[in-house]
Amino acid sequence: MARTKGYPEALEKKLRDQRYVREDSNPDFLKNVKSISRTIAHMCYQCGTCTGSCPSAPRSSYRIRNFMRRAVLGLENEALTDPDLWLCTTCYSCTDRCPRDIAPTDVIMSMRNLAFKRDIVPVNFLKTVQAIYSSGHGVPNNDVNRAAREKLGLTRDPPTTHMYPEYIKGIQTILNHYKLKANADRIVKEREG
Amino acid sequence: MAESGANHKFAFYLGCIAPNRYPGCESAAIKTCKKLGIELLPLKGASCCPAPGAFGSIDLNVWYAMAARNLVLAEQMKMDIALLCNGCYKSIWEVNHKLKHNKDLRDGVNEVLKEIDMEYKGSINVYHIAELLYNPKYVGPEKVRDSITNPLTGARIAVHYGCHLTKPHKEREFEDEVMLNTEHPVWMEELVAALGATPVEYRNKMQCCGAGGGVRGYDIVHSLDITNEKLINLKEVGVDALTDICPFCQLQFDRGQIEIQEKFGVSYNLPVLHYCELLGLAQGMSPQDLGLDLHGISCEPFLQKVL
Repeated sequence: MARTKGYPEALEKKLRDQRYVREDSNPDFLKNVKSISRTIAHMCYQCGTCTGSCPSAPRSSYRIRNFMRRAVLGLENEALTDPDLWLCTTCYSCTDRCPRDIAPTDVIMSMRNLAFKRDIVPVNFLKTVQAIYSSGHGVPNNDVNRAAREKLGLTRDPPTTHMYPEYIKGIQTILNHYKLKANADRIVKEREG
Repeated sequence: MAESGANHKFAFYLGCIAPNRYPGCESAAIKTCKKLGIELLPLKGASCCPAPGAFGSIDLNVWYAMAARNLVLAEQMKMDIALLCNGCYKSIWEVNHKLKHNKDLRDGVNEVLKEIDMEYKGSINVYHIAELLYNPKYVGPEKVRDSITNPLTGARIAVHYGCHLTKPHKEREFEDEVMLNTEHPVWMEELVAALGATPVEYRNKMQCCGAGGGVRGYDIVHSLDITNEKLINLKEVGVDALTDICPFCQLQFDRGQIEIQEKFGVSYNLPVLHYCELLGLAQGMSPQDLGLDLHGISCEPFLQKVL
């Protein structure tokens, strides 16, 4: 093992001096990211393999490495208010290639969860919630498709909540437990009037 | 050749896009699997998986609980789940795996499920149909080859693997190690070759379709630009069709080509078929039986080549 110069306290002080902390850093941010994402976000050494693997990077200002740094530095506001947060397609290429075995994709997901707690969320995500609340499906059936299904010898509605709507109540109970429907309705109304 | 009767039975988890947009995938899966000794039974009352991008982004706890409800329905049938969509695989397989291995998550989910008189036990497994078709324990490429009556000879077919079946590979547990290769896998190409077609490699094959993570709804132009890059790479090598194992990727490539034409002014007219639809054609099902007329991009040029 490498030997450190000086005493442990001296080393600790030296490291503390080296830590880059801004006024708007929130050390809890990294803790929250780690507990929601269940990945070792603090181990990131900024190699950039994630951004190099990212299909969204070449066509936008989204840099996943930047979000990893923000997690480590606790730059919560900067991360959660950046519209690029929502450009991750969750393809997991960065996670497959990360040399530190971190899951940057899950870090992004955890940041999105934290953003939602502040009502920061694109409306299309909430519309999916509303669709599932009413029908059980994110992409529900329609009449054109019902006719097509019949021609194929399938039931007009698939044997899901569509054919058995009595199961929808259970789904609504789950979504109400987390107050997800109420929050979705409220935010959509605020945005769209 | 296949023994008569079903050797394996599964609860067939449908998801949303297959039954509600590409019902041919659903009927093709049921019929082709039956010929291969796999019976797919309806999973009554199943819902959206729920969409890992949309729900996972908002609140992972809701994602766990909603997926667990679908898992419990299959547990009550005492049957393993088979499904045909990568997005559903991420929700259903991964939540099952996480709940089996993390007591804190399992307890949290069961607290909610108690309100609807359900309990997650962790008693079943989840499989993607592509995985069953490739694994000789269930089917395997040899048996697929033996089942076909109309080989797709001369057709050049490229594969889009999609993301969520195999990635992140560090968390996946496929029996066959070749399925854990996410940089340059060729197991799907083996399945394409088993249909008599010529599998074709292309640049950046493993790139995402662009639809996932809620990006299709959030920024459609950005999302389509990723799809367009894949279509450019496919055009470069010249293929008759693209095959996928995920109806959401299929939607992005098929309906997406129409949107790309509108927004970018480029057209490719590349037929996009789920592997189950291809298998159906090779097993002698007609394009009408497969609902291929419901596709946004006409499959005609490809059909003329193989029928």
